[in-house]
Amino acid sequence: MTALPSRSNIQTELKPARKPAAAMIEIDHVSQTFKTSGRQNHLALSDISLTIEDGAFVSILGPSGCGKSTLLYIVGGFVNPTQGLAKVRGKAITGPGPDRGPVFQEFALFPWKSVLGNVMYGPRQQGVRPAEAEAQSRALIEMVGLKGFEDFYPKELSGGMKQRVALARTLAYHPAVLLMDEPFGALDAHTRTRLQNDLLNIWERDRKTVLFVTHSVEEAVFLSDKVVMLTRSPGRIRQIVDIDLPRPRRRTELLLDPRYQKYLVDIERMFDDADENELRP
Amino acid sequence: MMTRALLARATPVLACLGLLAVWQAASLVLNNDSFPTAIEAIRAIPSILGDKEALINILASLRRMAIGFGVAVAMSIPLGLMMGRSRTVASFFNPLLMVIYPVPKAALMPIIMLWLGVGDIAKMLVIFLGVSLPVIYHSFAGAKAVEEKMLWSGAAMGLSSAQRMTRIVLPAALPEILTGCRTGLVLALITMITSEMIARQSGAGNILFNALDMGQYDTVFAMIIIVGAMGIGLDALFERMRARLVKWSEPQFDIPVSFS
Ligand SMILES: Nc1ncnc2c1ncn2[C@@H]1O[C@H](COP(=O)(O)OP(=O)(O)OP(=O)(O)O)[C@@H](O)[C@H]1O
Ligand SMILES: [Mg+2]
Repeated sequence: MTALPSRSNIQTELKPARKPAAAMIEIDHVSQTFKTSGRQNHLALSDISLTIEDGAFVSILGPSGCGKSTLLYIVGGFVNPTQGLAKVRGKAITGPGPDRGPVFQEFALFPWKSVLGNVMYGPRQQGVRPAEAEAQSRALIEMVGLKGFEDFYPKELSGGMKQRVALARTLAYHPAVLLMDEPFGALDAHTRTRLQNDLLNIWERDRKTVLFVTHSVEEAVFLSDKVVMLTRSPGRIRQIVDIDLPRPRRRTELLLDPRYQKYLVDIERMFDDADENELRP
Repeated sequence: MMTRALLARATPVLACLGLLAVWQAASLVLNNDSFPTAIEAIRAIPSILGDKEALINILASLRRMAIGFGVAVAMSIPLGLMMGRSRTVASFFNPLLMVIYPVPKAALMPIIMLWLGVGDIAKMLVIFLGVSLPVIYHSFAGAKAVEEKMLWSGAAMGLSSAQRMTRIVLPAALPEILTGCRTGLVLALITMITSEMIARQSGAGNILFNALDMGQYDTVFAMIIIVGAMGIGLDALFERMRARLVKWSEPQFDIPVSFS
């Protein structure tokens, strides 16, 4: 742990000037137990406490099955935690709402709607006029690189294309918090980099709060203010790493930046150590 | 390519012609009074369709069928969808439906006639019962299979639970629902005829069974052809509507190049 640079080690002038941030999401001693079909209780998340400031970009990093998606569902209000409490803007989360927009690992597009129909769905639901909703949606579709595919149905798209539609569909209704579950997992390296940059641009423009689940250490460090590392199942918080790298971030500059490299190495090392010390069940 | 398309269109016609040919041959070989040849049966068709009385009877049948089918579909889809999304609703209705399912609906006809008489209502009720079960069952299965994350996406956009039902569960389950409706349509035709067989008064079934009583076998078989043609026609019509409604879910039937 001491190998990690603490906030005070980094020159403060690199930090973007920000108002004292208010808490957007508070997760307070949250645990989640699932009943499995074998009638056993399966502990998926154990005692998670985490505060996410308004406008922060926070990544959740952890091995498969450690409960990352579950944590996102709890913040989304789709799953009620068996213990503890989650709050958004100080209010207890009791269900889903348009202030928190999920991008699911499984895309969950509406198959009976075209690409345009999917992206327009949220704005239309929120009462945006058809012409306006369509114009905004077309711009978003272009942004995620799907210009020309507006009239395609989901079944006619590849996995990566579906993922981009899912992202556009959620961005379209302007949630204050984005809950992204491995949104770039199925993309080729090129598209992935492009969308990471686009996401950062959007984020820098309107400073949404982002909770971003990923398997990739590089992606987490590149995008985030904070990386939350979870342990192997049942997920507990292993470590929270503040990423003090200047913004706006340029991938090409960061790759040469020794601080960036150090974050990568430190986080990788922590996972390695954990694997060695892991108690066998 | 052209010849293949033509062949594909001609196949059902060829199948019908083949069936008629087998029929013709069989009746010539058996040489039985109560088994007219296909040609004799076909010859009897114009006189049935030219008869005003008979036409009114057939139209009355179709009207009962349309009403029974329409009401059944309108009630069964919502019920099936609710059963698919709510465990409580499902556990309440499932046992009831399981009891009704194996009972041949036409077998209920005598009892229903005791209550409601031999009129239209009794017959439409039987058709209604015949159509309901497959539609409920398929709507139930379709609603149950709706991906949860799709409903979550809708909830996050602010759809209420009633809106999620009509704007997500219904369209998502539509392919399955329409499969149920198609089965229901065929069952409607079957129960239509059997109900008229039991409650003789009017209708296509009535013409058929009256002719049978009077030994007019060519009319009997002509009616069988007419009912069969109605079945094929309705099914083809329904299939066209279905294909249009759910073209977003159809797998593409592109013929692999290697076969050409
Ligand atoms: N509905 C459920 N019922 C029972 N167990 C569940 C359910 N959902 C998740 N789990 C269990 O909870 C644990 C965490 O699941 P989760 O999907 O949150 O993992 P994850 O970290 O997102 O994994 P991945 O990186 O593979 O997506 C898993 O062990 C899984 O088996
Ligand atoms: Mg997951």
